[in-house]
Amino acid sequence: MKCARCLLQLCRLRLGGRSAPLVRSLPSSHSWLLQHTQSQVLRQFHVSPSCPKTRPVPAEFNEANKQKDKSLATYDDLFEQGAKEAKTKATFNKVVEIFTKASVRRRGHVEFIYAALKKMPEFGVEKDITVYNKLLDVFPKEIFVPRNFIQRMFNHYPRQQECGVQLLEQMENYGIMPNIETKVLLVQIFGKKSHPIRKYERMMYWFPKFKNLNPFPVPQQLPEDPVDLARLSLTRIASDLDAKVTVYQLPCTDISESGQEITLPHVVGIQSPSQMELLAKHNPSRPVFVEGPFPLWLRKTCVSYYILRADPAPADEKKEDPYDPDRCLIYPLQLDLDLECDLGDDESFDVEDLDEGPVYAMCMTSQGDQATLNLWISGLQKSNDILGQVPTLFRLDAGPQELQWVDTDSGHQQQPDSETHKEASQPEVEIEEELTRSRGMKQ
Amino acid sequence: MMSAVCRCAQLGQRLVACGVTRLQQRRAFRTHARQLAFAKDLFLGQVNKAEVFPYPEIGNEELEELKQLVAPVEKFFSEDVDSAKIDQEAAIPPETLNGLKELGLFGIMIPEEYGGLGLSNTVYARLAEIISLDGSIAVTLAAHQAIGLKGILIAGNEAQKQKYLPRLASGEHIAAFCLTEPGSGSDAASIQTRATLSQDGKHYLLNGSKIWISNGSTADIMTVFARTEVTEDGEKKDKITAFIVERAFGGVTSGKPEDKLGIRGSNTSELSFDNVPVPLENVIGDVGGGFKIAMNILNSGRFSMGSSSAGMIKKLIEMTSEYAATRKQFNRSLSEFGMIQEKFAVMALNAFVMESMAYLTAGMMDRPGVPDCSVEAAMVKVFSSEGAWICVSEALQVLGGLGYTKNYPYERYVRDCRILPIFEGTNEILRMYIALTGMQHAGKVLTGKIKEMKRGNVGLALGIVGKKLRRSFGAAVDLGLTGMDGVVHPSLAESAKKLEQNVVLFGSTVESLLYRYGKTIVDEQLILKRVADVLINLYAMTAVLSRASRSISIGLRNHDHEVLLANTFCSDAFFKNNYMMTQLQKHSPENNDADIKKIAREVLEKRAYICSHPLERTF
Repeated sequence: MKCARCLLQLCRLRLGGRSAPLVRSLPSSHSWLLQHTQSQVLRQFHVSPSCPKTRPVPAEFNEANKQKDKSLATYDDLFEQGAKEAKTKATFNKVVEIFTKASVRRRGHVEFIYAALKKMPEFGVEKDITVYNKLLDVFPKEIFVPRNFIQRMFNHYPRQQECGVQLLEQMENYGIMPNIETKVLLVQIFGKKSHPIRKYERMMYWFPKFKNLNPFPVPQQLPEDPVDLARLSLTRIASDLDAKVTVYQLPCTDISESGQEITLPHVVGIQSPSQMELLAKHNPSRPVFVEGPFPLWLRKTCVSYYILRADPAPADEKKEDPYDPDRCLIYPLQLDLDLECDLGDDESFDVEDLDEGPVYAMCMTSQGDQATLNLWISGLQKSNDILGQVPTLFRLDAGPQELQWVDTDSGHQQQPDSETHKEASQPEVEIEEELTRSRGMKQ
Repeated sequence: MMSAVCRCAQLGQRLVACGVTRLQQRRAFRTHARQLAFAKDLFLGQVNKAEVFPYPEIGNEELEELKQLVAPVEKFFSEDVDSAKIDQEAAIPPETLNGLKELGLFGIMIPEEYGGLGLSNTVYARLAEIISLDGSIAVTLAAHQAIGLKGILIAGNEAQKQKYLPRLASGEHIAAFCLTEPGSGSDAASIQTRATLSQDGKHYLLNGSKIWISNGSTADIMTVFARTEVTEDGEKKDKITAFIVERAFGGVTSGKPEDKLGIRGSNTSELSFDNVPVPLENVIGDVGGGFKIAMNILNSGRFSMGSSSAGMIKKLIEMTSEYAATRKQFNRSLSEFGMIQEKFAVMALNAFVMESMAYLTAGMMDRPGVPDCSVEAAMVKVFSSEGAWICVSEALQVLGGLGYTKNYPYERYVRDCRILPIFEGTNEILRMYIALTGMQHAGKVLTGKIKEMKRGNVGLALGIVGKKLRRSFGAAVDLGLTGMDGVVHPSLAESAKKLEQNVVLFGSTVESLLYRYGKTIVDEQLILKRVADVLINLYAMTAVLSRASRSISIGLRNHDHEVLLANTFCSDAFFKNNYMMTQLQKHSPENNDADIKKIAREVLEKRAYICSHPLERTF
């Protein structure tokens, strides 16, 4: 009888808002109705062994289902069939709904949930908290809640709990924070001290702490436009609020006279005032280098950038500005003392303080050949006159194209453009070519 | 009425004239140039009591003359100056300016042979007390004579003085001091205005622009600092040179007057020079010697801010106490409430300390020889500008909402006062000057000793440790302020002891700072700030002790009140000093500098307040 009561509860829950209040509101004199429902439930309970055959499959799936009915992979197929037209959140939800409504007892819900979890990325719903909650809702409520201390002591309904934990685990892996609905569902399904609830609590402990941990957050949605993406990446590397982004060339496609399609790559550069100052002080007899490409990962996208740098100046060339006593009108900028800082108070030592040589500017382009980068350098020259006198060396290597992740499925795949590809196919040689460019030559 | 004032002033002039000759005669007795170094000696833990005791005073005749001079000025300011109107219209009416000219206030410190009043620093400070009742007039006059024409006065040659000073003294010409440029405040290296020798070699051609020039639109004579090319050791160098520029030379244009928060009646504007021909004889001092001149002008102009602020606060005390005594709340007058009483005590204390410091410094500057009191003057400026701000705002607070309205002058005082910590060298930069000048002096003396200690001279180190131990066990510190040869009156003995203790502790603090940082102390601004603050307090304590001792000794009216003020201030400053010097110790838990710097760094890195909003949530 207890079992029956339990099932009745389940049934009430399943029926949701429609019938449950009705049943509850029945006065005791109408117990015959209660009896009736009970008997109905009981009868269904007894029928269960033959369930696979008589599983009520919705009419629309019936035909396709006929052959595969008996296979173990039925739930996977359920999704495949449900998504004949398109794999979207709507179809996913429909499949889940169909399963939920198919049977009052939801037999095989653990397998169904596992199958659904596996299918989620395909339907593009792996980051949707409402879908996870809907999946959790598939679990029957209250039956897995331990009722006494012995049940509580041992692992009550281990498969179901494990399945719940697995679901939470997948949420964790995709970085989805559970919400209050998740908690209510988990309490209803597994009770307050179950493994899934503990998992939930751990997630809720750590997730908020990690959420804003990155001081340089990358936006969820990266800009589609390569120029915007370059702008974002460059400001991210430069990390200087004064740095100015300049677009030297916008990407465009042109058709030349011979009918060939010419794609002009975008060239976006960044330079801060302090970098300009450093560059102006550069000794023109020493070369500057254009180096790259270097990879920069933004979530799942890898972009590459190029830098304009110089070797650190040799010690004898480094000269500090001589102290000018006639500089500050009010107080002495230096003391005329023969006393150095005491060791205990000298905090100037820093292991990270290595002279790597200055980086004068950075740029991003979709096409890392010398001609394109030259465009950048000549653009820079407009605001940095010294570049006209300094020999510029291009040290470009094949770049990280081989490593680049090519997403064959998604619509916007990153195709390494043909130009750089050619370079990549060459043996790894450093194109080191000295190019002394003067302003005269450019014009 | 005007003529009466004028006659009065002339009388004053005449009387003062004989006073000055008398003064000069007296000066002839002591001809040796004195090396004044009271503040610097404090860094070594010494009190050079001969410098500051007894409190400087002026002769009877000079005092009489002063009183006769002050009366008409006071009358003029209370009757003929409408500060509210000046503030509202952002201009000083010409009749007011004429009144000031007739009183001779445009040439207070110009010697008589050039038509000025030829008054001493002390008398100048006394007059500044009254002039400061209107901020706009005070700034206009200060820009004219404290800095504008000071260049000619201290470094000009006889011909320049003869040519310019008479008309400046009469107020026919107004002077301005042109140093600040868009890219250069205290940084002489970024001065862009340039003077190039013309082809015929008779003129310099001046090009460039200056900003925030007080009296910029009204000035006829300007002291302009510009870059000139100087050949030094066969090398061509750019050096700063000071020029006297007349507006009549042509090519000088002034911009629109700035719309300011306070001192609205004073004129501040941009000045640009476009190929202004300046004759060679208008170079002040030597070509390339402008830096020293600018420094000297700036250093000499600061001391009067102490008496100006004190004058203002004294006036405010009168006005607000009237209100506090008559206004009733809960059937009690405001003056019966403790928190209101405290405000009056604060104002009285501040006024007393500022006054004491200002006249002590002025008196030191008036001594024969050319005493260098720039550190003392800077301390007066820092203390009084900050004290004035506190007092003015407390005075406004006494009136509450009424004080905030334009019906009362308090809001104007608050606005006018805000400029004090900013101009004539900001307080921040002056604190650097105060602390570093002392550190330089102490460093010179102590270098040998510190090096010996670093080399591991056990005897010396033990000696120092022993001294410190003895002091911590309560060995009396005696620098001779009290006792047999004491200079401080016995009723102030306790305060004098506190001063002595502080001075000795300060000496050892400076020594340990020099040991720890050496010349890199220049970069430790938070430490230097505390050093400067302690020094300012020490100087203030000295000043009040000296003044109050004199007052008791000669029996001035209400000297018991002075003793009370002096003792209160000293015990307050004593605690503050001890706290600051504790902070200056190594690994002191009271010292938050590292955290303060870190907060600032994190904020400045993002250039924003970076905390999340308190209503923000993560789940």
